[in-house]
Amino acid sequence: MAPDLTIVTTAVALPFVAAVLSPLLYRVLGERTGYAGAVVAAASFGLLATEVNSDGTVGASWIPALDVGIQFTVDGWGLLFALLASGIGVLVFVYSAEYMHGEEELARYYAALLAFMGSILGVALASDLVFIFLFWELTSLCSFVLIGHYTEDGESRYSARMAMVVTVGGGLCLLAGLLMLAVAARGALGGVTFDLTAMIANDEAMRASLRESGLFVPALGLIVAAAAAKSAQVPLHFWLPNAMVAPTPVSAFLHSATMVKVGVYFLGRVRPLLMSPEWVWLVATLGLLTMTVGALLAVAATDTKELLAYSTASHLGLMVAGFGFDIVYGGEAGAFHLLNHALFKAPLFLVAGIVAHEAGTRNLDHLGGLWRELPITAAITVVAALSMAGIPPFNGFYSKELLFEAAYEVAHEAGGFAWLYPAVATLASVLTVVYSVKFLALFFGERRAPVADVHRPPIALVGPPAVLATAAVVVSVAPQLAVDAIVQGAVDATATGEAQLEVGLPTHFSPPVAMSAVAVLGGFAAYPLRGHLAAGIRRGVDAPIPVRPSGWYDWIVSTTEVSSARFGSAVHNGLLRTYVGWVAGAGSLLALAGFAAVGGPLGIGEIGGIGVPLAVAVVLGVATLAGVAVATASSHVSGVLTMSILGFMLAIFFILASAPDLALTQLVVETLILLIFLLVLQRLPSFYSEIRPLALARDAAVSILVGAMAFVSVLLTIPGPAADPTSVATYYTEQAVPGGGGTNVVNVILVDFRAFDTLGELLVVATAAIAILVLVTMRTRGEASAPEDEAEPIPDGGDSP
Amino acid sequence: MTTTIMRTTARVTVPIVLVVAISLFLQGHNLPGGGFIGGVLTVAAFVLIYVAYDLDYLESGVLGREVASGTSVFEHRTVTAYRRALLAGLVIVLGSGFAGILVGDPFLTQGYVHIEGVPIYHEVELASALVFDLGVFLVVVGSLLTIVSVVSAE
Repeated sequence: MAPDLTIVTTAVALPFVAAVLSPLLYRVLGERTGYAGAVVAAASFGLLATEVNSDGTVGASWIPALDVGIQFTVDGWGLLFALLASGIGVLVFVYSAEYMHGEEELARYYAALLAFMGSILGVALASDLVFIFLFWELTSLCSFVLIGHYTEDGESRYSARMAMVVTVGGGLCLLAGLLMLAVAARGALGGVTFDLTAMIANDEAMRASLRESGLFVPALGLIVAAAAAKSAQVPLHFWLPNAMVAPTPVSAFLHSATMVKVGVYFLGRVRPLLMSPEWVWLVATLGLLTMTVGALLAVAATDTKELLAYSTASHLGLMVAGFGFDIVYGGEAGAFHLLNHALFKAPLFLVAGIVAHEAGTRNLDHLGGLWRELPITAAITVVAALSMAGIPPFNGFYSKELLFEAAYEVAHEAGGFAWLYPAVATLASVLTVVYSVKFLALFFGERRAPVADVHRPPIALVGPPAVLATAAVVVSVAPQLAVDAIVQGAVDATATGEAQLEVGLPTHFSPPVAMSAVAVLGGFAAYPLRGHLAAGIRRGVDAPIPVRPSGWYDWIVSTTEVSSARFGSAVHNGLLRTYVGWVAGAGSLLALAGFAAVGGPLGIGEIGGIGVPLAVAVVLGVATLAGVAVATASSHVSGVLTMSILGFMLAIFFILASAPDLALTQLVVETLILLIFLLVLQRLPSFYSEIRPLALARDAAVSILVGAMAFVSVLLTIPGPAADPTSVATYYTEQAVPGGGGTNVVNVILVDFRAFDTLGELLVVATAAIAILVLVTMRTRGEASAPEDEAEPIPDGGDSP
Repeated sequence: MTTTIMRTTARVTVPIVLVVAISLFLQGHNLPGGGFIGGVLTVAAFVLIYVAYDLDYLESGVLGREVASGTSVFEHRTVTAYRRALLAGLVIVLGSGFAGILVGDPFLTQGYVHIEGVPIYHEVELASALVFDLGVFLVVVGSLLTIVSVVSAE
């Protein structure tokens, strides 16, 4: 059944509309805006749920010339992700309404959260590369706003910037990669297209076209780099723990359940398209490496949310590794774990929020034995943490078992170094058990000082994680139910061949079962040694900068800041002549370099044959003389006057070359410039100062460069005098009277044929006027208010009555 | 620059320049000219007044009104009028674009009709492009004069 375009578009657009309206909603509803958000999320969820049985692509055209359109593909994989995002969205909005009680800037918070949810739905359902990129970057933008929610806090701003730089930098890689795909599609599909569904349908032709143009490895590398930045894969994982300064509902929603999974989602989406030995080598290694490093760092974590953040990176690594293996089990592991991870990690984050809210601390060393005060929360945590650890029969076990099977099968086939895959996977799982138990220890064992009295959390805080934990239990008890409902569709969409997912508890002994047994038993055995483990890991983390990616980040940012400050003061030193020199010089150099790169033939040979009429020669000769006179003028008055001679000569040249409109414009503009010069002439110094020889040489060099650029451009771009008029020129000339009703072709082009260009130019003129108006206004205002600032610093905050 | 020669010259030339500007604007569709050229020429005429006299002359000398002294250049009534001309131009340009949509044509479609039997001219062509060109004229006049008057007041 084909999906309904209206329903899908409404589901994606609804959160954006609500985001725009949220300041209004907040004014009416106050803190209950969260519940309104939940209603919006539920509406999107309900709309998408009606499409569960549909499969196909629908769209409307937007830029037909480039084959860009609003196009949505509804299949199991996109729906799984979209339903997860909107479903968890409902719970997070309910949770937020209680959790964000008494906070500032709630209108902005809900607007960003709603816009984020819309963007995620867009990423999940769009199948046009341009739209995927757009929504992808929108999620990064919303994440930036939400991480930086506490704008007064320096750490919050630093983390928001870091997340922005890393994920948007990844987004630029994605853009480059997607453009490569679009270029390859020209060879494979016979035309420039941004239609991802069509590319995947013709994956072999696409791969062949990419290989042929040598773009396969670059495109693969760029797309994987983009996904790695978004999904916090090593070595770009460092932004995720820093992002935990965001309010906890944001961490649960963006940084565990949805946004960080966008990278994984997209890898799953392009997996059938890019599957190759390079893909396996790159993606599987990246995933397993992240799985291990994330688990190690989670074991060493001392803060509940930090532990969960590293654990999220580790589990994202598991999904990436699953998609990396070119085997049926791999794709199944990735798709199924996407669901399972959301079902256990989101409640754990919400639990961490409850603990921080009620016990007042997030430090793991200060917390313990909380089950007495928080029995329901403890029960939720037991389900979620054991699922995270991959203990049978909890749902996390099934997908992890699939990864073990994939790793084992790949190693079994390839042999040699490939045996590292199962070994590393098992090691990471041992560590996963250790940190899962560590998190669970919050609720068990002895009470630890110095926590004050712990309150009972309200139902709005406990309800959402309880719903998710219940869902986790359902999937644990009857995994085949979830598979049949939606996961099978997701597996089909991401598989490279036929795949029939069947899950259940193992009935007989096999190597993957042995790996699971080693992971669980090893984890419990290693748990008492966690102190030593953590100390060792921290020594590694504190190593000098070369092995610490966040150190690299800091170095790059600070170096960029320093060098750009230096560069800025060199290029923009406040003197207009410096600006002109840089702009004209750089522009001419770029243009000349462009001509040289293209290697256009210089038409000098043809020029020799043109007879120049005497009148033209005289006019141009006078113009040249005037130009020399401008350069050697001793005062501004003579400079301005000789400059007008140059301009009027040009106007006469235009008349001789039968271009009356150009001549008129040139005359009028020349007159206006002369008048404006007269206005300001009194303010200018009457004579020039001494000119340094070095400055003279520099100015002469820039002038010659600009002149050369203009000369070469004219030679190369103007058709020879003997050439036939172009088809465009012929069209305009023939159509001016019947089509535009005017005999002045220039004017008809301006106001009729190409009126849209004229409109754009008018907007430029108007913008220039407004900009100058604003600049001049602000300048006087700045001068007027500067002394006041010094006298009386403005107190921040709005506390005054 | 406010010499007698300058002022006398300005008095004689400005009306001629303005008439030429308007005729250039009106004949633009069939002969050299058009909204942009007409607009710039009009600006030149106004700048000539400005150079020969000052910003207040348009109000006090031409319109015979009292000039409120002491206001900054941004609140100056003449500058406000320039800004309004800019705004009106933008409205006309966009309006003429959307007018086509109302009758079912794409954005910015232009049309023309020939009217015959008009006294003196016998046959007159009315082109909707002239409305668009009027917008161009007003935008050019409004923005250039705003820039000139604000910047030179500095």
